[in-house]
Amino acid sequence: MMEVTYLGIIIKAILILAIISAIAGFGTYIERKVLAFMQRRLGPMHVGPYGLLQIAADGIKLFTKEDFIPQNANKLMFMVAPVITAATAFIALSAVPVFPDFTIFGIFVPSIAADVNIGILFVLGMMAAGLYGPLLAGMSQANKWGIIGAARTAAQFISYEVVTGLSLLAPIMMVGSLSLIDFNHYNETHPWMVFMQPVAFVLFLIAGFAETNRTPFDLLENEAEIIAGYATEYSGMRWGMFFIGEYANMITVSVLASIIFLGGYTDLWFIPGWLAIILKIAFMFFLMLWVRASWPHVRPDQFMWLAWKVLMPLAVINVVITGIVIMV
Amino acid sequence: MSLEHFKNRNVGTQNYRMLDLDPTPVTGWGQFKQVVRRSLSLELLVGLKVTLREMLKALLFGKMHTTKYPFEKLPIGPRYRAIHEMKRLLESGHYRCIGCGLCEKICPADAIRMDTHYGENQRKEVSEYTINFGRCIFCGYCAEVCPELAIVHGGRYETASEQRASFSLFEDMLTPIDQLKSQREFPGYGSVSVNADTNIKKTPLAY
Amino acid sequence: MIPFAFYLFAILITGLFLVTVMSKNVLYAMTSLAAGMVLISGLFFILGADFLGVVQLIVYVGAVMAVYAFAMMFFDVTRDVEERHDKPWLVFLLGGGIAVTLVVIFAAPIMGETVHALYPPVAGATNPQAVGLVLFTKYLLPFEVASVMLLVAMIAGIILAGKKMEISLSAMDEDMIADTKEHA
Ligand code: SF4
Ligand code: SF4
Repeated sequence: MMEVTYLGIIIKAILILAIISAIAGFGTYIERKVLAFMQRRLGPMHVGPYGLLQIAADGIKLFTKEDFIPQNANKLMFMVAPVITAATAFIALSAVPVFPDFTIFGIFVPSIAADVNIGILFVLGMMAAGLYGPLLAGMSQANKWGIIGAARTAAQFISYEVVTGLSLLAPIMMVGSLSLIDFNHYNETHPWMVFMQPVAFVLFLIAGFAETNRTPFDLLENEAEIIAGYATEYSGMRWGMFFIGEYANMITVSVLASIIFLGGYTDLWFIPGWLAIILKIAFMFFLMLWVRASWPHVRPDQFMWLAWKVLMPLAVINVVITGIVIMV
Repeated sequence: MSLEHFKNRNVGTQNYRMLDLDPTPVTGWGQFKQVVRRSLSLELLVGLKVTLREMLKALLFGKMHTTKYPFEKLPIGPRYRAIHEMKRLLESGHYRCIGCGLCEKICPADAIRMDTHYGENQRKEVSEYTINFGRCIFCGYCAEVCPELAIVHGGRYETASEQRASFSLFEDMLTPIDQLKSQREFPGYGSVSVNADTNIKKTPLAY
Repeated sequence: MIPFAFYLFAILITGLFLVTVMSKNVLYAMTSLAAGMVLISGLFFILGADFLGVVQLIVYVGAVMAVYAFAMMFFDVTRDVEERHDKPWLVFLLGGGIAVTLVVIFAAPIMGETVHALYPPVAGATNPQAVGLVLFTKYLLPFEVASVMLLVAMIAGIILAGKKMEISLSAMDEDMIADTKEHA
């Protein structure tokens, strides 16, 4: 058995990049289909069987569209911002284990690209850094909707990072480690975390929706209020990169929720671990679309109210209670 | 439906369901209680249930609402005022227009331009008749004023084309001579749509 | 590999912070500062201090810089900032002096021969655990004092921001606004 080499890591990184980009593209298709079904429509139907090739058509459209840069914009920042979003989303994914370790061609492959022993914090930190994508995009484009979008980005991310961190603190205390792999092992010997920490699960979900900028919390680009927020002036592949980043973040949050709260990739009755986690991730992804189809946006002030007056106190209380229970 | 049925105009009110909404809380404590009650009674999940139900209905029972438009088309009402049609006389196949010029005169948008001459049999004949669809506001006056029911509005609403002229010439609007048999008479303004009986509903107002 | 990574990071960080100081454009300054912070966390990772690296990422990049950015929204970021330097040599002298002093302060113990770690990492403890051990034994008092200080700052911030919170200018008419101005 060989150890993983630098080459292996590079191969893995490229694989993750390719697979996640593909899944993100496929995610747009799924999203359109699911939303359509929930409104009793058909969704994309004409390009390919059941509209499956719509992804390719969208890709071609995005690539061939004019890459438009407004005259008064800060050109460099305007061009860099989407890359930041996509890059941070992918870097966050690199520290997330998705599958059980496996052996291929006689080479032992751990399923994680970078096994930092503070996995959770790293992912959170990277998603926090992801705030610069929308922020710089909004500030550089010399557009009032962009500025409003950027302001909302800063407010939203700062507030909800607090909630994510505090809500995850209680499970971290129970597991006693920051490594996502340890979380998975914990689930092997204990009931799923969601049954022991239901409050933390709900809080994490809410904050996750906010951090991935999904309805009901997609205030950064709420078309009814601020056109497209930070993405107002973007077109073509630069806009596409924001999109890919958003979907990669959705996948990250789904994976995190599956591993921390829903038992991860441990075998489930007769279902092997790798299938179980795919099902869990798929369910979390579906949940995001489901919520988008069902619930309206919240107002920005309600949103802040929710973060600071409801979720944060709840999270703190949850942490304190968990601490007391652990101590006793 | 019997007449009696129609006489009762208080439709709907019998089925109104009053929601027992609490008054909006003013004190902080009241708001707090409301938030807690609403969160614990899982009101949000109702919305999720509705969408899931619709999705299952759509997928399992085929209750999709989509019309695949270019392949399927919904019938449009007879009152719809789309691109004009010029009709022919059923017996002779000659166009109906007698060149009276009323439509040209009444057109508020000055869209119609026509020219006539005396034909061999001393009958006024249309030598030129065009409607400028860049100006036409589809008001329907021309069709209303026409004494011969010669110009009417048709149902052709897909008006995207490379040139406006594709619609606006007399020959284009005229019923093709080989389709004379299938030429449908304009039911006239105020006529009801074909499926009106199935669509009819009582006005849900008490007055 | 590691020296190479260190020098790469060091050069990049210095360059980025130079941009922060030199640039006339608020947006460039802000972005390069944030990017420099990210790279500093890279230095922590090289040292094997994963926890501190991530904390650097979350605190400086995620929070502090975001608050800076929030303040920057009040400026027109597309325009260059005009800076006035009355005495450039004084700025140079003071800034350079501080820099040299800092370098000397931090370099002296490293150059010295007698330095040894007072609290060597406990064997077997993972990174966050090691940080926790030092933090809650040797540095417990400073830690608690810092937290109390933060609490005080937080309460002060809330009070400052919360003053007259219940008054809504948009709900008042002109006269009432004038009234409140007089009383204030
Ligand atoms: S529909 Fe109205 S505007 Fe159009 S040609 Fe007839 S009269 Fe003129
Ligand atoms: S009103 Fe009728 S008959 Fe008279 S010119 Fe117009 S189309 Fe012909």
